[in-house]
Amino acid sequence: MGTYALRRVIQMIPLLLVISLVIFGLTALQPGDPVDQLVFGNSNITPEDIARLRAAYGLDQPWITRYFFWLQQAVTGNFGYSQDFGIPALEYIFQNRLPNTLLLTVPALVISTLIAVPLGIFSAVRQYSVLDYLLTFFAFVAVSAPVFWVGALALYFFAISLPQLTGGLLSLPPGGLGGDVPPEAGWLAVTLDKLKYLLLPLMVLMLREIAVTMRFMRANMLETLTQDYVRTARAKGLADRRVLYKHALRNAVTPIVTIMGLSIPGLFGGAVITETVFSWPGMGKAILDALVTKDFNVVMVCLMMLAILTVVFQLLTDLAYALVDPRIRYS
Amino acid sequence: MKKTFALTVFLLGAALAGPANNSLVVGTSQEPPNIYDPWNTNNLAITSEINGYMGAGLIGLDDNGEAYADIATRVPSIANGDYKIVKDAKGDVIRNSVTYSIRKDAKWSDGTPIKIADFQFWLKLENDDRVPVPDREPWNRAKITSTDADTFTITYEPPYLFADQTSPGLAPSHVMSAAWNAFDAKTKNEKDAKVTNEEWKKFISAYTTARNLPKVVAGPFKPTAWRSGNSLTLTRNTNYWGQPKDLDNYVKTVTYRFIPNTNTLKVNILSGQLDAVGTVGLTFDQGVDLARSERGKYKTYFVPGAVWEHIDINTRGQRSKDLDLDDPRMRQALLYAIDRDALTKALFQSRQAVSNSWIGPISKLYKKDVNDYNYSQSKAKALFTALGWTPGSDGILQKGGKKLTLNFSTTAGNTTRERVQQILQSQWKAVGVQVNIQNYPSSVIFGPDFLSKGETGKWDMAMYAWSNNPIFEEGNLFKSSGIPTAANGYSGQNNPGWNNAEFSKLQIQAKTEFNQADRIKLFDRMQTIWNAEVPSLPLYFRVNTYTKVPGLVNYTFSAYTQYPSWNAANIGWASKGAVEEYKQK
Repeated sequence: MGTYALRRVIQMIPLLLVISLVIFGLTALQPGDPVDQLVFGNSNITPEDIARLRAAYGLDQPWITRYFFWLQQAVTGNFGYSQDFGIPALEYIFQNRLPNTLLLTVPALVISTLIAVPLGIFSAVRQYSVLDYLLTFFAFVAVSAPVFWVGALALYFFAISLPQLTGGLLSLPPGGLGGDVPPEAGWLAVTLDKLKYLLLPLMVLMLREIAVTMRFMRANMLETLTQDYVRTARAKGLADRRVLYKHALRNAVTPIVTIMGLSIPGLFGGAVITETVFSWPGMGKAILDALVTKDFNVVMVCLMMLAILTVVFQLLTDLAYALVDPRIRYS
Repeated sequence: MKKTFALTVFLLGAALAGPANNSLVVGTSQEPPNIYDPWNTNNLAITSEINGYMGAGLIGLDDNGEAYADIATRVPSIANGDYKIVKDAKGDVIRNSVTYSIRKDAKWSDGTPIKIADFQFWLKLENDDRVPVPDREPWNRAKITSTDADTFTITYEPPYLFADQTSPGLAPSHVMSAAWNAFDAKTKNEKDAKVTNEEWKKFISAYTTARNLPKVVAGPFKPTAWRSGNSLTLTRNTNYWGQPKDLDNYVKTVTYRFIPNTNTLKVNILSGQLDAVGTVGLTFDQGVDLARSERGKYKTYFVPGAVWEHIDINTRGQRSKDLDLDDPRMRQALLYAIDRDALTKALFQSRQAVSNSWIGPISKLYKKDVNDYNYSQSKAKALFTALGWTPGSDGILQKGGKKLTLNFSTTAGNTTRERVQQILQSQWKAVGVQVNIQNYPSSVIFGPDFLSKGETGKWDMAMYAWSNNPIFEEGNLFKSSGIPTAANGYSGQNNPGWNNAEFSKLQIQAKTEFNQADRIKLFDRMQTIWNAEVPSLPLYFRVNTYTKVPGLVNYTFSAYTQYPSWNAANIGWASKGAVEEYKQK
């Protein structure tokens, strides 16, 4: 297992190099660059000004030359400055954006899994019951409804209608990150303030997560319940409860490990639409903005981070299989 | 007690804005990359707006376009002798100069007096090749000479037409000099411009970012907190000399909230979270929607602006010749064929005035009595016929076996423009012109390979906007030397490629015409020529939409001032005793 893991880690290096080259190339080949914005609409700009700006931004060189310059700097830990924010790209992402995203996505994954798994099991065990139909209906609605639409509805209801209905007593803020309460007010006030802003985007994000995981869990559980060993266990006269939770559930949950493992890089990537609708300054919005404004260094930091996380968690997921499924051996 | 407070805040939603604590909460859809960078190395509107709260200049312009003195003791003019124009024997102006005296009480926010050295330091860096300013006009030909400790003269040679209406910037030399000297030593012999630029970013980010807020400022407010992606808070700078007399009657803090999604911004207005909206935020449609739901909670304003929406007609390349787009009659016909009055009525409640010139009505150079090209299908058809275009069996105009089929492009995703396109497309179809809509992302439209390369035939008609400052109008948009070519690095703005010798001659003449009356005459003629040839189809001047809560005074702007922060010192709540000086026009 150790040798296998080491071999996989060594394989990651050329893979990540190729990924970085592709990302850099694709970003560089997009039409336009940061200098265009400074040039367009400026009647005073001269050809000399344009040449000077292009040289300053390194855009006077072919993209492959720029890539190797970036790589040379990156291996020393220098990922350059954000064009849009004037601070090191690494600092912008890891201090200003990633914490916000994790604050939103980690609870969303954990809570939705805790809710979805029991619901999925319940739905499978009580297949074709009224509740199963209700849960299935909810799942299809939640998966089908566009996030921006659900988000907008939630905003209008909780920020406009609810205060009107309750005479201003109950409301949730219409997006943002909080910070209405000064730190002097104490940890409880600050936490509640943060929570108040987190609630709406969290609910919207969880809605879809719950629906997907619940359906997945239901399908796995239904498949497991038809296996021979379950039938054998029942034939041996084991109690239903024991068959369900001791034998079937353990095997049905195994694919959830895959889902969880492969979801983790996604947690770092943020949720673009949810973050946009709720003005939550996270990674998803940061990546989108950086791509639009051609903030190359930020794009590279974000996408390389996601690439590294993806290959690392892919490996960890594979290794976790060996732990949960005794039939899998890496030797 | 703490718990009760926390619970109350939790139930009440967001913070209380407005007069309750004499603060101002402004919503905007964009966050500036940096603030108070004296060299403006980014050119975003939101940056200029926020900088207005923290900045001070020698002189400024008010909502009526009138100059007022700020750091300077008075406004320079020919009459008071502070503005001088020097002519040669032929009567041509060869240089001009402006003299400023710094007020005795002008101080930086740390109490250090503002000195001539601060202007010299700014000018030195503005003209330094290592500083990535987009352009250096007119500072690359400006020289500062001091007369005494507080008086200096800035001389422009060759002369600068707007010398009396603009003034050099300033930077706190007592704060920045040491770091600049270190930067200078480090990059003096650096050959790689990219390495130098990284060093520049290190230098400037130490004074302009969320992590390193500006250490000193000159204007009425100073930044105290910037939570990246969320908000920026500014508080009164008590060292600013121009604060109102009863300072407690005016807002103490200004908080900008960054809400990138404009629909979310709208919800924030409707739910009473914002006292006002900045100039970068709401779309016209949202303004109309908000105007319907005011209920006395806020008021919506539509401010005539300097942004000119138009359709460029490509006159370059073989395709344009084949389609007669290089013939003024074709362009006139296309303009007669569209009903711009009905368009602005249907889409903009007639709030956006139809234009017949690239110069806005607010400008002193504006010529009113030009051909208004009122909708006339018969005139359009007559012009098409005169050019030899006749309707084919399918109703589409044709000539020499070619159909009059035009590609019409604009920035994809801009719903207003896309709606305008559809209306115009059907109106042109009614006179036999087939218009194919081909939209692209703005990065393509404004990128290096589209508008500026008309000769490639990638577009026939392109709809977009220019921001035309009514004060600094030079006629650059349509000068011959502004046609983007390989020779000028595709840097000109004359995307239609219109080349009119008389217009260009007059434009060059106007650039050095220091007599306002004579300048108006030149622009009069230029507009007559332009209006007859219509290289671009003029549509309308956009209005800028914003909202503010009743009782908020002196939060106003115009096409001259552009941002409500121009009068930041006097923004306040009437209920707190703030006196209204300016009303929103």
